[in-house]
Amino acid sequence: MAKTIGQEFVKGLWEEIPPFRLVLGLCPTLAVTKSVENGIGMGLATTFVLVCANILVSLLSGVIPSKIRIACFIIIIATFVTVVELMMQAYAYQLFQNLGIFIPLIVVNCIVLGRSEAFASKNKVVPSFADGLGIGIGFTISLTVISAVRESLGTGKIMGNQLFGSSFEPFSFMVEAPGAFICLGLLLCVMNMVSSK
Amino acid sequence: MIEAILFTLSLGGICGLALSVASKVFYVYEDPRIARVENLLAGANCGGCGYAGCSAAAEAVVNEEAPPNVCILIGPESVAAIAGIMGSEAGTAESYKSFNNCKGGSRATDRFIYQGLNRCSAVNALYGGKHDCHIGCLGFGDCVRACKFDALEIGPNGYPIVDKGKCVGCGACERVCPKSIIEVRTMSQRLLHLNTEDDALAPCQQTCPAEIDIPQYISHIREGRYDSAVDTIRERNPLLLACGRVCPHPCEEYCRRAIEDDDAVSINQLKRFVADVEMNSGRRLPISSAPDTGKRVAVIGGGPAGLSCAYFLRRVGHSVNIFEAMPKLGGMLRYGIPEYRLPKAVLDWEIEGILNLGIDHHTNVRMGVDFDLGSLVGAGFDAIFMGVGAWKDYKLKIPGEDLKGCFTGISFLSRMGNQEHVDIGRRAAVIGGGNTAIDCVRTLIRMGVEKVYLVYRRTRKEMPANEVEIVAAEHEGVEFVFLAAPNKVIGDDEGNVTGLEYLKMELGEPDASGRRRPVPVEGSETVLDVDMIITAIGQSPDTTFRTPGTRMDELNITRWDTIDVDPDTCRSNVPYIFAAGDGATGPALVVDAIGGGRRAARGIDLFLKGKPVTAQPRALLSKRHIPESLFTDVGGVGKSVRTPMPELPVQERIKTFVEADLVIAEPDANTEANRCLNCCRLCYDPDKGADKPDSLNAA
Amino acid sequence: MGDYTVLIISSILINNIVLAQYLGICPFIGTSKKMETATGMAGAVVFVMTLAAIITWTIDTYFLKTLNIEFLRTISFILVIASLVQFVEMFLKKSIPALYAGLGIFLPLITTNCAVMGVCLINIKEEYSFLQALVSSISYAVGFGLALILFAGIRERVILGRVPRPLQDTSIGLITAGMLALVFIGFKGLV
Repeated sequence: MAKTIGQEFVKGLWEEIPPFRLVLGLCPTLAVTKSVENGIGMGLATTFVLVCANILVSLLSGVIPSKIRIACFIIIIATFVTVVELMMQAYAYQLFQNLGIFIPLIVVNCIVLGRSEAFASKNKVVPSFADGLGIGIGFTISLTVISAVRESLGTGKIMGNQLFGSSFEPFSFMVEAPGAFICLGLLLCVMNMVSSK
Repeated sequence: MIEAILFTLSLGGICGLALSVASKVFYVYEDPRIARVENLLAGANCGGCGYAGCSAAAEAVVNEEAPPNVCILIGPESVAAIAGIMGSEAGTAESYKSFNNCKGGSRATDRFIYQGLNRCSAVNALYGGKHDCHIGCLGFGDCVRACKFDALEIGPNGYPIVDKGKCVGCGACERVCPKSIIEVRTMSQRLLHLNTEDDALAPCQQTCPAEIDIPQYISHIREGRYDSAVDTIRERNPLLLACGRVCPHPCEEYCRRAIEDDDAVSINQLKRFVADVEMNSGRRLPISSAPDTGKRVAVIGGGPAGLSCAYFLRRVGHSVNIFEAMPKLGGMLRYGIPEYRLPKAVLDWEIEGILNLGIDHHTNVRMGVDFDLGSLVGAGFDAIFMGVGAWKDYKLKIPGEDLKGCFTGISFLSRMGNQEHVDIGRRAAVIGGGNTAIDCVRTLIRMGVEKVYLVYRRTRKEMPANEVEIVAAEHEGVEFVFLAAPNKVIGDDEGNVTGLEYLKMELGEPDASGRRRPVPVEGSETVLDVDMIITAIGQSPDTTFRTPGTRMDELNITRWDTIDVDPDTCRSNVPYIFAAGDGATGPALVVDAIGGGRRAARGIDLFLKGKPVTAQPRALLSKRHIPESLFTDVGGVGKSVRTPMPELPVQERIKTFVEADLVIAEPDANTEANRCLNCCRLCYDPDKGADKPDSLNAA
Repeated sequence: MGDYTVLIISSILINNIVLAQYLGICPFIGTSKKMETATGMAGAVVFVMTLAAIITWTIDTYFLKTLNIEFLRTISFILVIASLVQFVEMFLKKSIPALYAGLGIFLPLITTNCAVMGVCLINIKEEYSFLQALVSSISYAVGFGLALILFAGIRERVILGRVPRPLQDTSIGLITAGMLALVFIGFKGLV
């Protein structure tokens, strides 16, 4: 495990990019990617929680008894989720409204807990920070890509800018639930094709 | 603010308290390894592994249902740690390895691929497994796809080949194989597995009393992998050098070629060939044993049954002591089979290899004389195996039988085997028609006896001896006197034998054994002019080991003096005494004793591990066949000539005890191995016929 | 009563928790490879979701709201759910081994099942009464079970098909789920 800090960071962007390589955290991926704005917002919120939780877990890893470590991790994560919740309520209320219950549900996002357990609890603060940031940004990128595809096809716009000519009939299926599943499935397939080459 | 803190603390307190009380109140024992494995898993309960949460995954890992790398979150160190808990740790458990049981004939691929199906599970689901081979490999490679360790590939013959080095025994391949062709087993499980009705068994393998995987070792020979062939044989038979020489190979009668009215493949010659290759290479192939279990077994009798039982018990990890009454180990192999059939040097080499596994032995100690049951139990043996053999010759019960110059078969042969001096005559008569009688006449010829008669009360057709042996005896100049029942032994004044009077017989009605009963012809007394007589009319076990007034009195003995055992488990009525070989079955083949020894080892292993000592479900006890595997005709088997067995010229061999039968040369072995049809029950393609198995096309 | 009928139908079919609300996708994909696993999981979810909804509703109404500390909702809910699941698991293992054998092993998976937490939060957000909360959580759970079992049935067949390599496993699973979601959209006309 002689990876440099840079490598720890970069692996989250491609090697282990969630949710494509690490098929976890699908619910927010599907739920909030109706628009790019929501996708980025969700990604950043998750990144914040990931980074903070990773740092705290790696700091406390010597103190936490291993029997109740999962419970402790969840409490730590829940704390930061609450912080994000309150921050968004204060500074980005519209986004908070759009994301709805998916903000508190970051608590049960397996990516966050998974990184705490699998990485932060066994590594020092700096690599944990890099790992959290890498995975978080990777997750944000994925959400952005998926939401870009869905929003552009589903509404013909991205962040309010008209993309196609007026003759384009929006593909409203894509912003509905079935579109979310199929879009993610096809993107996974594309990822598989790219990486198998 | 204060409310918030108080609320959080009290909620946390209540939850913590409730859980810690609950964990005491609702405590249920489970395998401690589950907790250790679970501790190493991510604990995210994400379900990404396909199991319901981390504890379910941990349980699956411990139950060997999931590989150590089941968790998609943890890193390689944790995987290694889990693998460590699961038995790669020295001395805790045996590792599992994947094995492919299908030897392949023609694949179903050719017939079903056009349906657009490329998965074994799909073909099996849609066709219910009813194709050419209803048990064999489908060859679409579901197992290869399932293997996370890249340890499997579809070989050139269309069935999977396992890379033992890469296999970690995770069991993924076994789970996806719809035909149970791929199995993940520990070595012990494999060594003690008995043939069952639903195994993929070629007819020859069903017939072999030792249940050797014949098509497998022949295919190894074909590929030039002689070491693998030896290992395959050693999974079922530790005495391959001996069997390769003396086995009457009942398997060859059920060779598919023989069933198809062609010459059978020379299976036993091939066994001898690879066994000799190993011996002549001057290096012993390593034989692995499972970690020690700490249980001790006493094996009474160092003959084929005892050696086989000791070998298998040792390999599955028990410690074994052999107690032998004679000066050397080997039993009938040493004292019943003459030098010219099985040289003592060869036998010594083979037995040494078995003892090298770490088996202790004591010779010149006789049960009931030097030690008894009490001393074995007192010495801390957990189970006892009786492989006492059948050493007591039957008597003719005719007058003059005790005159000087009269011998009995086994005592004569064993004295020869022990290199004792025996006064032999000029003209000798051997009474009996079995292998012992033939061994006696051929030995006498080699000792320079001028005239050797073999006196048998029926005809040549009814002789129970092996045909090849009879032919060899004929070639060597033995005179056969058929339909002759000895009446009395004639002696001179000094008590020496001078002749044998017999009555001529004629064949009457068939008796219970289906052989026509010989009836004496009135007034047909004839005298053979001989000065030496050997009676070899059969043997029974010597039961003097039963010291009166001990637990041994309780041991049930049949009316043929054999130890009464359950044929499936070889257990006697005394729970810790097991028996096999001639002592349990009456005189039989060496290979029967070897198979019996392994069956007993399985029973003993179950007993020592505290499991119920029961028959293996659907076990195919020897001499029974899977009916649907014995169809009379598969069509298209092209005839080919069997490689003859090389032997010393008659003039040369009758003067010496040098081994008479020779080993076949390597090119011949190759040709012969290529004649094997690779049977695996029904694995033939009716569209193509079976005359060209894949290997032949390749060759 | 009419209100409750609408609530039940909309919770099970129209607002199906997996296929319309995007909750509980991970176990939905993870445990749907085999019918047997799917039914077990469905049963466990019904059980836990109902219990969790009752308890969290009580806590929210009587503690968080009265003490005016709603910002502790996330942390207290997850704590309660996690403890509850573990408690139920231990209880079943000891007291009702038969039920544990069927459902128990799926319980831990539910701790981080966002569907459970999600339903609890929805109940609060929609300001349901106790009875409404009870009915809606049972219905949501049934909806989850329905979707899971249907999906498992389809997936067992999909294995038999000739799926191109890049599409195999999760990819084709998601697309199949998309088709299923499309079907569920059809229920929108019901109410």
